[in-house]
Amino acid sequence: MFGYRFIRRERPLPGGQVAAFAAGVLIALLVGAVLLVASGNDPFEAYAKMFDASFGSWRALSTTLTRAVPLGLAGLAVAVAGTMGLWNIGAEGQIIAGAIGAAWIARLGPDLAGPILIPAMLIAAIAGGAILALGPALARARLGVNEIITTLMLNEVAIRVVRYLVNGPWKDPEGQGFPIAPVLPEQSRLPDFFSRANIGVLIAAFVLLIFGYYASRSRWGYELKIAGSSAEAAKYVGVSLKAKILTVLVLSGAIAGLAGGIELTGSADRLVEGVANGWGYAGIIVAALALMRPSGVAAVAVAFGAVQVGGLAIQTLGVPAAISDIIQALILFGALSAAVFSTYKLTRGGLGAAEPTGQDEDARATV
Amino acid sequence: MNEQTIIGLLVSVIEFGTLLYLAALGEMIAEKSGVLNLGVEGMMAMGGVSAFWVGVETGNPWLALVFAAVVVAIFASIHGVVSVAIGADQVVSGLALTILGLGLAAFLGEDLVFEAPRAAFANFELGPLADIPWLGETIFSMTLVSWLALALGGATWFVLNRTRAGLSLRAVGESAATADAAGTPVVRIRLIAVAIGGALAGMAGAYLTLKLAPGWSELSTAGRGWIAVALVIFGAWRPGRVLVGSVLFGGLLALEPRLQTFRCQPGQEGLCLGFEIDPIIVSMLPYILTIVVLILISIRARHRPSVAPAAIGQVYRREER
Repeated sequence: MFGYRFIRRERPLPGGQVAAFAAGVLIALLVGAVLLVASGNDPFEAYAKMFDASFGSWRALSTTLTRAVPLGLAGLAVAVAGTMGLWNIGAEGQIIAGAIGAAWIARLGPDLAGPILIPAMLIAAIAGGAILALGPALARARLGVNEIITTLMLNEVAIRVVRYLVNGPWKDPEGQGFPIAPVLPEQSRLPDFFSRANIGVLIAAFVLLIFGYYASRSRWGYELKIAGSSAEAAKYVGVSLKAKILTVLVLSGAIAGLAGGIELTGSADRLVEGVANGWGYAGIIVAALALMRPSGVAAVAVAFGAVQVGGLAIQTLGVPAAISDIIQALILFGALSAAVFSTYKLTRGGLGAAEPTGQDEDARATV
Repeated sequence: MNEQTIIGLLVSVIEFGTLLYLAALGEMIAEKSGVLNLGVEGMMAMGGVSAFWVGVETGNPWLALVFAAVVVAIFASIHGVVSVAIGADQVVSGLALTILGLGLAAFLGEDLVFEAPRAAFANFELGPLADIPWLGETIFSMTLVSWLALALGGATWFVLNRTRAGLSLRAVGESAATADAAGTPVVRIRLIAVAIGGALAGMAGAYLTLKLAPGWSELSTAGRGWIAVALVIFGAWRPGRVLVGSVLFGGLLALEPRLQTFRCQPGQEGLCLGFEIDPIIVSMLPYILTIVVLILISIRARHRPSVAPAAIGQVYRREER
């Protein structure tokens, strides 16, 4: 178009993604400011309040970190699959499945001691997420069924299962008719970390660290990247693609399930329909912004946690909380657009290197 | 259960079917050009809120429909520009469009939540045909939007299969590189397909807030955009089959709140079910059926070429010619 074309750089600009993220944040804040002005608010006041509510004090920071936990784990779930070129769009449903698993254990053993009950709930949550991911994983590994749509569809199934539970068999008899499960036992709460944060923050940080290490330093991580780059290469180095797809997608579901478990043993005091709160979908944006790297996931999750906490805080100014969803999505669109300049350069005319085709025919799923 | 209950059910099937068909048709057009757009839920919300606003301001539902179509065509073009022109991943960009659309619709529509609808699509009684038993009160008195949806379905089939433009669009969706080599403007066609898909999702949103469930709230779309995405697969990327799927899935949506009335009450006459089906099972069926169909398509694709457009999800960037 207009004689200009994108030429792929020999290597991406150093720090390109960080710059792209910063550009995305800037674009999002600018568009957000326009919306705030249009709705009769002072953007400077609103942004100052958002920042203060998310980073202004230890209490604020602890709230932000708590909010970053499900975002970071969902982001990691997506990133683990994404390293291999797979899309787990089902983190939302897997968080719900995890929360259901944890709530189920609390129903079975409400009198168990905390040190037994909490780990049991978290393990059940991990299992719940893994089970929900198992179907799409098997279908993809064995039959080549596209995992994007199957995982997406299961989100809608999972939300109806939890809706059924809190409206029916698990409904709180003392809930005054509200669709909520009974309050969880007192000893099922995760111990405090600092201020309003519980040790769920440490668990999530630990999980992210482990995966960060394994993704970049281990043979397992290396094989994942090989399998993601080309089926031919995977065959050449002796990696079983089917086994990898299966384990990676189930693992991805397990991580998202853990997010549901931590939510239930941490911030939430009972199972409700909205337990996943859109974190599964936001996690996809987090992972994309982090280029599927665990360290990046942690950083973006904290930033998004801050946006969400800030968005809730400015409700007192009369700004709809939806502003935080808008800002998150705009950060992504802004960063995606800006990132193009770190991997490509815009030149006028001329010849450039051809773009690698990415995936192999074999590895591609049928939609 | 009497005649009136059944007619009520059928009317509801048509209403949900219309909503789903409009949105699914739009998604199908985009996918045929090779662009998966997971933003339907957000686009429908944007269409719903824009149409409802114009309805409240002007009282004219048709103006609202056109406005929603234009607004959402532009809104969908964010996905077009980011995923087609810039070449970002279609999955991420589409999901971000859903998040942005739901957020923007909630933000912009905050003051409309308690507003009473001032415009609605009227039932259109088709002359003497409206007196035919059963059909008269259902098909022959549905709104013109439903007829429009059917006409658009026919037009889509015709354009895709019988015109040069349709051939180009399908070629771009099968192999962008080949189409490009033949001189077809890949990027332009995909951008147009995404915008048309958005316009149809916008109309679906207008039908939602001005007929199916008059009023606006951020819960208006209620996951129905995802069903539209599912329907394209269920209907194997064909306008006719997508219509069948829309009626079927529309039927499930219509049935869900009515299951209670189908249970046998003591002394009841007429049709009734001797067993209980929980509405929750019915509400899950569209998604589960789609997964089943997807598995069948994959098994079938081992022996025959897949029915899916081959280039779905792939970025095309011509780097050298």
